[in-house]
Amino acid sequence: MKESAKAKLFSFRYFVFDFIKLTGAIPTLIWLRPKRIYAGEVAKRRIRGGALVIANHSAFIDPLYVMTAIWYRRVRFVFSEELARSRAGGFFRACGCMEIDRQNPTLGSFKQITDALKGGEVVTIFPEGHLSGENGDAFKSGAVLMALRSGVPIVPLYICPRKMAFGRLKVVFGEAVDIREIYGERPTFAQIGEATKLLYERQTALRERFSDTLHA
Amino acid sequence: MERNEIFDKLSEILTLAGGESVEGLSEQTELKRDLGLNSVNVLYLVIAIEEMFGVTFDDVGVNMFKTVGDVIDYIQARLK
Repeated sequence: MKESAKAKLFSFRYFVFDFIKLTGAIPTLIWLRPKRIYAGEVAKRRIRGGALVIANHSAFIDPLYVMTAIWYRRVRFVFSEELARSRAGGFFRACGCMEIDRQNPTLGSFKQITDALKGGEVVTIFPEGHLSGENGDAFKSGAVLMALRSGVPIVPLYICPRKMAFGRLKVVFGEAVDIREIYGERPTFAQIGEATKLLYERQTALRERFSDTLHA
Repeated sequence: MERNEIFDKLSEILTLAGGESVEGLSEQTELKRDLGLNSVNVLYLVIAIEEMFGVTFDDVGVNMFKTVGDVIDYIQARLK
């Protein structure tokens, strides 16, 4: 995986996030007992530098699952403007989450995300744009543009929906995708659409390939 | 910068991003309905405009730009 800038190990900006992570780590690990499955040797490598993680979104608690799966990094999330306007909005912002208006995105909110990625941070986005079922929905192309503009790899993650409250968390890590390497720095609109489809196919393949392990 | 000069550059950006020249492009052409762009495509277009014209669009949503003429109006206002 290509190395980019390194995020700060400690920053007062992320005090709330780091505090929650440190105090909640042990109870969460006992509760979820995460099982990480890797699509190959390359997928086993730890995420270093900036990376955009894409994951399916079937439960509100998915961000916690991502944080547990990538425990060794501070993970920031992109969240919707509806959630940002809710009572919980301030809490999410204090945790380092970044909002984006899905219907009417601004370049300002887009740049906040790409700046974080360029700064070496790990950002997670749920490219379906909403909660979906186990089979997932088509992806929106925002993630492709974010990776393209920041030059970071996209790491596909499949979170197996948990059927029981105390069931084990199972997460499949796919191999990182470098959009610039495949489509160049200035792809056409059609190529952005193709790249979005490619990401969706990669993630669907993770679910199908490890179906037996995930439902064992 | 003159309005027609901005239009020509915008047409160039749309041709590059679309992968082919845009037939019958005018200031009344609607970005979403006529050119079939989605919000991410418009965002991509805005980024390209920033780079080409050296203007910043930070505080506006992409839905503000309905037609090619709206984009030209905005660029002209920012260049002044």
